[in-house]
Amino acid sequence: MRKTFLLVAAAIAVSAAIVVTAGAAPSATPGVTAKTILLEGTFPLSGPASGYAPIPAGMGAYFSYVNAQGGVNGRKITWHFEDDGYNPANTVQLTHKFVEQDHAFALVGGLGTEPQTAVRQYLNDNKVPQLFVSTGATTFDRDFATYPWTLGWQPDYEAEGSIYGKYVVKNLASAKLGVLYQNDDYGNDYLRGLKAGLGAAHQSMIISAQAYDLSATTPPSVQVAKLKASGADTFVIFATPTPTIQAYVIATKLGWKPAHVITNSVSATDPFLTIAEKSGSDIVEGSISINYLLDPSNPVYNKQPGMKLYRQIMAKYDPKGNANDPLNLYGVAKAWTTVQVLKAAGKNLTRAGLMKAARSMAYTKGKKNANPFSLPGVSVFTKGNFQYPISQVTVIQYANHVFQPLGSLINGRGALR
Amino acid sequence: MSRFRIPVGFAVLACAVAVAPFLVSNYHTYQLAFVGLYLVALVGLDILTGFTGQISLGHGAFMGIGAYTTTILVVDHGWRDLWTIPLAGVVAGVIGLAFGLPATRFAGPYLALATFAIPLSFIGIVKRFPSFTGGNVGKNLPQLHSEFGWHVNPSIWFYVVCWVVALVMFPVAYLIVRGRFGRALRAVRDSEIAATANGVSTAAVKTAAFGISAFYCGIAGSLYAIGITYVNPDTFPIDLSILLLVGIVLGGAGSLYGMVFGALFVEFIRISWGPGILDLVSKAHHLDTHAPGSGLVVYGVVLLLVLYIAPAGAAGLVRQLLAIVSRLRSKKDTSLSDPSLV
Repeated sequence: MRKTFLLVAAAIAVSAAIVVTAGAAPSATPGVTAKTILLEGTFPLSGPASGYAPIPAGMGAYFSYVNAQGGVNGRKITWHFEDDGYNPANTVQLTHKFVEQDHAFALVGGLGTEPQTAVRQYLNDNKVPQLFVSTGATTFDRDFATYPWTLGWQPDYEAEGSIYGKYVVKNLASAKLGVLYQNDDYGNDYLRGLKAGLGAAHQSMIISAQAYDLSATTPPSVQVAKLKASGADTFVIFATPTPTIQAYVIATKLGWKPAHVITNSVSATDPFLTIAEKSGSDIVEGSISINYLLDPSNPVYNKQPGMKLYRQIMAKYDPKGNANDPLNLYGVAKAWTTVQVLKAAGKNLTRAGLMKAARSMAYTKGKKNANPFSLPGVSVFTKGNFQYPISQVTVIQYANHVFQPLGSLINGRGALR
Repeated sequence: MSRFRIPVGFAVLACAVAVAPFLVSNYHTYQLAFVGLYLVALVGLDILTGFTGQISLGHGAFMGIGAYTTTILVVDHGWRDLWTIPLAGVVAGVIGLAFGLPATRFAGPYLALATFAIPLSFIGIVKRFPSFTGGNVGKNLPQLHSEFGWHVNPSIWFYVVCWVVALVMFPVAYLIVRGRFGRALRAVRDSEIAATANGVSTAAVKTAAFGISAFYCGIAGSLYAIGITYVNPDTFPIDLSILLLVGIVLGGAGSLYGMVFGALFVEFIRISWGPGILDLVSKAHHLDTHAPGSGLVVYGVVLLLVLYIAPAGAAGLVRQLLAIVSRLRSKKDTSLSDPSLV
């Protein structure tokens, strides 16, 4: 009996000691030591969205390159990412791990509108930076006042939509637009942007807009047939990759030959469009989209210093990766931005300092510190109430498996400078 | 001794649950909370699959129904999340009963196929009515926080909620499968013809089992939504239904305690063990374990290994070990009093 009592007492004492030591909070900034900075992120490495897996690999390659140069303010970056399979439930658990177990300094590049929406409040409650999320949903830029610890990076979908509107008004003034869009925030962001870009005077250019459901188990055949029947001569596709490919093929099968096709940037990469072509679509050639980064699949950029540096980094730090995949370059360009704000946050690194730096970025052409991996002239710029880091893009056209730029940069967010 | 096995086992489980949060970090406590809710789901599914012999590839959707019930009541109607838990079970249970009525006319693989339609249509319906469900964009629930004036880390609070529910639902399941009704369940599993001949209404029993399992999964789904603080259709993929079934098989279909192992597997394989094994492999062989899909390979290998080593799941393995121990013991006894010597 006495023995049992002693055992129980000892167990309680040990438990209490564990609880007390566990409760002792570290006083320094989490994830930062004299020599290291821990950055983490979730990406889909498995499942239907695993095509995005090169992004974190590209980021890792650039961080390794920076570490080899001595790191940031004397600290080396530790980059750690995990697979959430594009399931927000996994994203939430992994993010708890990053914050509570690994004590990451900041979460960088987390991919996907829904997964990142799922953890946004948690990260803001815990005052952990949710930087440069890999999604163009407008909310991550626009709602900075509600979510001060969250920031996007790429041009938002609304801005992109508006660029198509401006392009159509300028270059295809007599076009009759038939729009296919996804029936959710993603598609609606684009459609709203398109209408804004067309301007009040040209709303009637959209003669038909058909929504399709991502949940539909059948391809958007009915919608495309309605667009054809409406008499539209310009096919605007605001869809995710699979429905986009289907839309191309269905239009051809219905015998619809729109004079122009506009495809949003999410789906407009050579691999997807090649599938559409191989599946029998004859309207892929000449498709119009936008880009803001150097395109490694287009040899035209090979002489750019940024492209040369990119290929060196990939050859040395991610030799197994496909350097011609634009997603690798996307990762490298995003990591470049991350390193810039880490530098700007200074030697005495804090989470608040990092956010302050990210809220006032001015990496622009004139200052000679522009992102070398973006198209020449594209700024990464935030200031005060303007929190859309990248908003300049160029219109591109697909010809013979390469996207060629058409003309100069366009600003999707008129307020920039 | 075997008379005490059930209550002793339960007491051991309850003690382990009470001690665990003191021994592990808050994050692991958070993970163990999910083990608790998966235990509820697996125990429910086990009543249908393990005890009644009806395979379901759709119970992740009942978790989804429970989760959406809680989410809509909390977010749009201002309910307190805890009060929605039983209601989520009821909603899922009623839908489960309704589905069970026609579905139980199918047998074997045909039923499995029919149940496969549940998660498919669930995702479709959620996306079809975005103004009600939040559609693809989903809905954010309030962040986890302790209640009733108890100030404790949110992870620990969530752990307590999940395990209180699990430790109530677990003995209830035991009572369900123990008595006359439980015998009817097993009779249907072992031979429908014999069961019918003995006056068991197989359709009624199967439908009831469907409803009960859906009720359990609805409760689990409600806890899931509270813990994840977000729902959208991607949160309840078809994989989830399959993962639950895998959990049952690995834990040992037809055993309630086996479900504890199943729940541990379901929670940890995706988030912790899979990546952990991958890290080990990459360190040992310099392989690119961040290549897309490598996590699934680990999952598959673990599954095959477990099924090869323990075809009757963790519960079967434990039973086998116990049998070996008792055989060794009885051998010792018989050597002392070998009947041939007498």
